Amino acid sequence: MAEAEYTTTAKLPIETIWEFVKDVDHWADFVSGYQSHEKENDNDSIWTLKGDVGVLARVLTFRVHVTEWAGPERVSFELVGLNEPMRGDGEFVMKPYRERAGERATDSSRSTPQKSRLLRFLEAMIRVFLGRGGRARRADTADAEPGPGMTQLTFRLRIDPGGPMAPMVNALMKPVMLPAAEYLANKIVSHLEAAQGAKG
Amino acid sequence: MAGKPTSWDLETDVVAVGSGLGAISAAIVARDLGRDVVVLEKAPKLGGVCGYGGGEVFVPNNHKMRELGIEDSDEAGRKYFEFLSAGFADPELMDTLLSNCKDAIEYMEQKAGVRWLAVEGLPDYYFPKVEGAHSGGRYLSVELFDGSTLGAMQDKTWPMTPHIPPGVLHREMYAWGGLARVTEWDYELIGKRISEDQRSFGPGMMAYFIKAAMIDREIPAYLETPVRELVTEDGSVIGVRAEREGRDFFVRARRGVVLAIGGYDHNKELALQYEAMLDWNSACPPYLDGDNIVMGGEIGAAIAAVPPTNLAMFYGYNIPGEEAEGKPLFRASWECGVPHAIRVNRKGERFCDEATYKDYQARLRSWDGQTQQMPNIPPTLIFDQNYRDRYPLGSYMPGQELPKELVETADTPRALAEKLGIDADGLERTLARFNPPAKNGEDPDFGRGSFAWSVRLVGDMSYKNPCVGPLDKPPYYGVRLVPVSVGINSHGLKTDVNGQVVHQRGHAIPGFYAVGNSAALRDLGGGYQSGSSNMRAITWGYIAGRQLAGKG
Ligand SMILES: Cc1cc2nc3c(=O)[nH]c(=O)nc-3n(C[C@H](O)[C@H](O)[C@H](O)COP(=O)(O)OP(=O)(O)OC[C@H]3O[C@@H](n4cnc5c(N)ncnc54)[C@H](O)[C@@H]3O)c2cc1C
Repeated sequence: MAEAEYTTTAKLPIETIWEFVKDVDHWADFVSGYQSHEKENDNDSIWTLKGDVGVLARVLTFRVHVTEWAGPERVSFELVGLNEPMRGDGEFVMKPYRERAGERATDSSRSTPQKSRLLRFLEAMIRVFLGRGGRARRADTADAEPGPGMTQLTFRLRIDPGGPMAPMVNALMKPVMLPAAEYLANKIVSHLEAAQGAKG
Repeated sequence: MAGKPTSWDLETDVVAVGSGLGAISAAIVARDLGRDVVVLEKAPKLGGVCGYGGGEVFVPNNHKMRELGIEDSDEAGRKYFEFLSAGFADPELMDTLLSNCKDAIEYMEQKAGVRWLAVEGLPDYYFPKVEGAHSGGRYLSVELFDGSTLGAMQDKTWPMTPHIPPGVLHREMYAWGGLARVTEWDYELIGKRISEDQRSFGPGMMAYFIKAAMIDREIPAYLETPVRELVTEDGSVIGVRAEREGRDFFVRARRGVVLAIGGYDHNKELALQYEAMLDWNSACPPYLDGDNIVMGGEIGAAIAAVPPTNLAMFYGYNIPGEEAEGKPLFRASWECGVPHAIRVNRKGERFCDEATYKDYQARLRSWDGQTQQMPNIPPTLIFDQNYRDRYPLGSYMPGQELPKELVETADTPRALAEKLGIDADGLERTLARFNPPAKNGEDPDFGRGSFAWSVRLVGDMSYKNPCVGPLDKPPYYGVRLVPVSVGINSHGLKTDVNGQVVHQRGHAIPGFYAVGNSAALRDLGGGYQSGSSNMRAITWGYIAGRQLAGKG
């Protein structure tokens, strides 16, 4: 089992982010490598993404099952690979950002030795899920000060690969995982901030 | 062909075009002999096909086997190459190649820091059937390379190839049971090596060369800078017109240009025209567009050929959705040589020793003059549940669902044949004939398992005959195979004993050299042996580098 996590801040009230992430259809636009998804019901969907594994790219299909809609603070989900042996879970966590607390981003490769292997693997898995999008840096709010109307968005994912090659797959995906997590969270926030700006 | 520009963007002594083994070997040697060198590369990464491939170098009687006490002789090596050539080699070129290959690889060890390893126990393709063939030691690979020592070049090279699990040495691969037992390899160790960027196979070998050239010798390399034309003056090549950031980039070569840009693997039109095939795909990185033929042809260079019949063409497949460098990734299929798998033609008949690609490649090209057909094309891989319980298909491990777009499945051979569009009676007859002796590890029709190389490469050592087992456990599976080239083409520029390109009128073109796959395989003739492509790229690069430096 491995995990990775990325937190960013948004000049947006928590409800705005919740309104967005509470529909899985909305996630699609911000997952790079996205090919298609099919919503079976509000809680279950099948996703097809193209993601990098070392020097090659593969199409991955998996089922996402939302286990908890705890608005406006959290969406939790589980996933199961359909064409590759893997299981995992993840969540979006939203929190009003009133005071600064610790590091903005958790870089898995810099965490404790015991955790780092897990986190390194997850880094890789995120990249596989999220494709080859690269980093999406948001200069405007990434280092924003806490204050009223600010929200922290955290994206977290844990994956357990299966099969004899799991440790290799793990290592192959490591270098690209955290950037891809950043990409997803930052893209969602930029999109919502731009929409808010356009309205306001 | 371009005329002399009003001004040059860059001036140097030697322009090495491409960044595979041929170009980098020439660059290292010319630099060591005091010349300024510039490398121009079309791709966004350095290393060419070797940086993406297997990385075996075949050198008879090499110093590493001698260090291990393995006996060999130059004469035996020569005999073997003469056999491989089938009479189609130019004797002078072959002699030059074989007389220089040991010097070239020893030079690269002593001067460029390449840490060669003799691969013990991997026989020559034709051992023990042919005089001069050896039981093991002629192949060289390299010690693991630490990618972090590449500095700025670490991200400008491929850390691994999509074709072979990374971070593994030959001896480990064999100790872990070989390709047939890939599910049992030490993936903890492999994962650790990937995290540490410990490179092996072609990417490891190429990294030694890139470090020697770009880091230790500080030879400038321009990536994403394809050469479009040779610049000539009075019949001599004096530079190139490349393209860089959307603009012309003229580079003067005071002593000459060495073209080491591979062949035409990704130029389907040229490939179909020259290789006498009806379809074509490549396992190489997608930058080999036949520019050697175009640019050389443009200034009157002679194009030469060897028979395409038995070079290094494989059959394989693309797993739907799998890509490398933004293009579909084609993998050579090794599955046909493993127990419980066969390869059949449209009539549902076996036609070769499936474990030995030297046999199947040649027979695939057979031509029926009465029906005007190539009866064995396209071939189909057939296997059963015995196979599926034990062995992977590409990266699909036993137990994993196989992609329906690639693999047909049925409960009987007849139903499978119908789905695949091959003759059902024929497939039933084939299995009825193959299975009884296969249960005893025998293949009276094609002698599968009789080539030591095939057994080493794909055999499952837990079987009486490591390459043979019956197909008798349903369900049955079928995969339509397509050609997969590894860049070793039958046509190229005609070169002489100095590596210099020969004009259609017979004279050497001043200032113009071609090495590696850009040069026709007249030094090898009509056959191929793994490692001889890399060997000839290094050797002719070494020869051309000396010539260009004026120290030939
Ligand atoms: C999967 C695989 C495994 C292999 N394993 C082995 C093995 O074990 N042993 C062996 O001997 N051979 C092997 N080969 C083949 C071998 O690697 C190559 O034939 C050999 O390395 C070719 O070297 P080269 O110098 O001719 O140049 P290449 O490696 O073909 O390099 C040519 C370079 O030129 C660049 N280029 C192309 N056009 C231009 C242009 N117009 N301007 C500038 N640059 C250009 C290309 O991008 C490329 O980098 C393998 C091949 C594959 C695909």
